[in-house]
Amino acid sequence: MTVRSRFPVFAVTFAAVYAAVYYFAVANNWALFSYGPAVGEWTILNHPASDGPTMFWYGWIGTAALAGVAAGLIASWLPGNGRWLWSGLAWLVPLCAIGAIVHMLRGYFLR
Amino acid sequence: MWITLVIVHGLLAFLLLGAVTHQVVSVWAPVRAAGPRNFVGRFRAVGSANYVNAVIVLYLVTAILGSFIYTDYRITARLTLEQGHFWKSFGAFELKEHLIAIGLALLPAYWYFWQASLTPGDVRTRKALTTLLAFIVWWAFLAGHVVNNIRGLGT
Repeated sequence: MTVRSRFPVFAVTFAAVYAAVYYFAVANNWALFSYGPAVGEWTILNHPASDGPTMFWYGWIGTAALAGVAAGLIASWLPGNGRWLWSGLAWLVPLCAIGAIVHMLRGYFLR
Repeated sequence: MWITLVIVHGLLAFLLLGAVTHQVVSVWAPVRAAGPRNFVGRFRAVGSANYVNAVIVLYLVTAILGSFIYTDYRITARLTLEQGHFWKSFGAFELKEHLIAIGLALLPAYWYFWQASLTPGDVRTRKALTTLLAFIVWWAFLAGHVVNNIRGLGT
């Protein structure tokens, strides 16, 4: 396999795994790092800032991106040139993740 | 400085909205027959593939700028929404953050499925990815606009 033929496998796997892990990262607060905007403070993992609010959003993206890149690289090096992989996973899994997040946030829309 | 950044962020989002809307219309309602066209026909007939790199660059630049502005939102405008009990707008903006994050996951596949010579299954994937990305961009634009209207600039 060439890098060119591996890329679609990487891209589809990255989209699916990133989106799924992002949802679980939000649901369980698996933040790779945290940020306190009031004090300009970065910390590893999901530690609260020393003062003011703590932002985990960047950390959730970091967790999801790390998992997506790792899974994409592994999948793209597997034999079979990705014939086992359905390209629709690239949009179906993100769509399901969006649905799950809407369900998670439903309280704001039902008040 | 924050006001300037919010305005630039809005302008970039507006460009992105235009590019991705052209694409989504052209994949759902492509123009097949040649001949004279009205405004809608010309809108549908744009070379959608030419927009791909622009959409990706605009998405990334707008998201990076938005993620920087987000730090100020978190300690200012968000409090206004909470104290005013604007819960639907608050929830719409929360959802925007998550949609933008998930949109980042789509970009490599979106780029690939606009480049390759495609099978029918891949054409469906391209259409779905473009539609999902357009939905994300529209939601983000509208939610940001509504929250900005509630909070105002520099108030």
